[in-house]
Amino acid sequence: MDPIFVNSKKALLNLFSAFLPDWTVVLVSIFISIGAIMVLGPFTMMYLTWFERKLLGRIQNRIGPNRVGIFGLLQPIADGVKMLTKEDIVPEGADKAVHLLAPIAIVIPSLLVFSVLPFGRNMTAVNLNIGVLFFLAVSATTTLSIFMGAWASRNKFSLLGGMRSVAQLVSYEVPMVLSVVPVILAAGSLSTVDLVESQGGWNGFKWFVFTPWGFTAFITFYLSGVAECNRTPFDIPEGESEIVAGFHTEYSGMKFALWYMAEFMNVFTVSGLTAVLFLGGWQGAPGLPSWAWFFIKTYALVFVMMWFRGTLPRLRVDQLMGLAWKFLLPLTLVNIFVAGLWFFIPDLRWRVGTAVALLGLTFWALMALNRTALPEKRTYEFAE
Amino acid sequence: MLGVLRGMGITLKNFLASYVLPRRPDSLETGGIVTVQYPEERLPEKENFRNFPFLVFDGTVDNIRCVSCDICAKECPPKCIYIVRDTDSEGKPLKRPKVFDIDFTVCMNCGICEEACPFDAIFMDHEFEIGGPERQKSLVYHRDDLLKSTAHFQKIRPTDFAAIEERRKKDAEKKAAAQATVQAAAQPKPQTPPSPQP
Amino acid sequence: MSPLVLLVKTGIYLLMALSLLAAVGVVTFRNIFHSALALAGTLLGVAGIYLALRADFLAGVQILLYVGAVVTLILFAIMLTHRLGDPTIPQANKQSGPALAGLLILAALLGSLFLKTNWPVSEAALTPVTVRVLAKALLGEFVFPFEVVSIVLLAALIGAIVIARKD
Repeated sequence: MDPIFVNSKKALLNLFSAFLPDWTVVLVSIFISIGAIMVLGPFTMMYLTWFERKLLGRIQNRIGPNRVGIFGLLQPIADGVKMLTKEDIVPEGADKAVHLLAPIAIVIPSLLVFSVLPFGRNMTAVNLNIGVLFFLAVSATTTLSIFMGAWASRNKFSLLGGMRSVAQLVSYEVPMVLSVVPVILAAGSLSTVDLVESQGGWNGFKWFVFTPWGFTAFITFYLSGVAECNRTPFDIPEGESEIVAGFHTEYSGMKFALWYMAEFMNVFTVSGLTAVLFLGGWQGAPGLPSWAWFFIKTYALVFVMMWFRGTLPRLRVDQLMGLAWKFLLPLTLVNIFVAGLWFFIPDLRWRVGTAVALLGLTFWALMALNRTALPEKRTYEFAE
Repeated sequence: MLGVLRGMGITLKNFLASYVLPRRPDSLETGGIVTVQYPEERLPEKENFRNFPFLVFDGTVDNIRCVSCDICAKECPPKCIYIVRDTDSEGKPLKRPKVFDIDFTVCMNCGICEEACPFDAIFMDHEFEIGGPERQKSLVYHRDDLLKSTAHFQKIRPTDFAAIEERRKKDAEKKAAAQATVQAAAQPKPQTPPSPQP
Repeated sequence: MSPLVLLVKTGIYLLMALSLLAAVGVVTFRNIFHSALALAGTLLGVAGIYLALRADFLAGVQILLYVGAVVTLILFAIMLTHRLGDPTIPQANKQSGPALAGLLILAALLGSLFLKTNWPVSEAALTPVTVRVLAKALLGEFVFPFEVVSIVLLAALIGAIVIARKD
């Protein structure tokens, strides 16, 4: 059961190599991988919308979509048809070319990062030796696309959303990158495949999240990841109650769908990378195939993201910036130091003790320093 | 920090409870799905729910209570009632409407017609699923569309029906008694001789 | 030459041509926002060339820092300028003469470098510059310049805070 996808690709390649020249087989192999990603990405996006609507509905004591198909499973397809047949409106005075390019440019990085995710044993499309860096670098370019869309719409709300988005993404990039550092220290490699393999053993439970520095990095990375996806509670770039819809205010039809596609694919890939970095990727107890473990972990993290959305209200801009710069950034810096100490101290008890003590102290100090003064309770003399 | 975790706990509890607890559409307690899937399911109508008006007849369709006094048409705030009095073959006006139109595109469901009617002839219905393929004609209801029996009224609003019937009976008795006294006063009374003058 | 190599070579030349085209766009576009976007395209093309030269880490850092951060900051700075996208504002200043002179000097320097270097051509595949090699070089052989750069960055950070503080 485990190598089913790998074997089916091999079988397909054998089939082709029977009557095609060698060099085309290489191309076919590349195209099979690309094709798998191109199908998986949009398909994931479609069903994440369904999943999110169902989940939010249940959180709010509703049923969620259940009209189109059994359990509403055909709802994403109906939505897709609706999006395709909608009128494509480009505002008067908009920069037409950039307005068109922006939603295309945002989907490309979202699809590209799929290529370094190890979906299972030997199931990485491209095993780059800079896998994690590639992921972070490529997802950093989404800022540019969002800004393109925001600027080209020639709309004040769009531009405000774009400015907020840039400020947020640039800020959260820093703790996100820094919280990956301890993991890379531990694994000694930037390749996602090596990272997963270094978390094997102990019957699949030697994950980085079970170490003090790994746990801290997991939390900081995941929070920054949620912010990078522009999702609640960090969705100030598209805060509906403040700036209409932020950077995609002026988009309709399929262009709008592309923005959403990028957002949901980012949700999936960030959850996937979190699973790879901290939860052992496809490592797990034997019994289930490796790719099943990867998807279980990823979807559990996706669930938590949507659970956040169903629970937490949107942060204010200053709170958002404060969280990134005053809390996550110092915590990640201390965490790198702790991870370094971890590999220097030979005794297990000492290293756990120092790590927990240092991180706890930092956490307590940061909480104390970041405590905002509550306004004094006002008494109204004449109101009663 | 703890507040966030507590909030997450509440939403998780709601999420799980929606699968476990029975559905309770008309309860405000947390947990359990409150959705009513409208066309297939519906909540029982409240007795005091009122919507568009209808005309009442007693027993048979000919027996309309409305005497086409035009009070409801005058009282109607958006002026959506239009009444023409019926006449017999000689042109003598009759105590019943020939035309009784209500434009439901204009009606605002205020129920003033019901309050104003001195003959208990018009009442607010529970029917709310009306609609039409175009904007005007199909939503102008004519006399025959509006007619509904007292039995229907009793079914949808039993309390009001009982109270109104009680009052109508009393009124009728009073009227009969008054008529009797009038008749008695009109007739000469031989049995009782006039009292002797002092 | 096998068709695959031909394909890869065409791809690389196409990439170079596109990044050159984008570079021309940077200096010729009338709208400064478009120029900035073209600059992002150029930098992406350069990252692609790094990839083709088996310098994966450099390519990643190029995208992360230049496209992800520097261009974004440039765009942010453009947003804060007045009369954005007004075509009547000239994009070029009157310094084209000195700029041409500087360019010629740079070209001469680079040309002399090209001529002086002896270019070893071997059939053996390039050894990819891994992160490990890079890290050993940075923290071993070149540790002094590395630390100096860190101090310069620290000075810049402190300078930014000093400028930003209102007192």
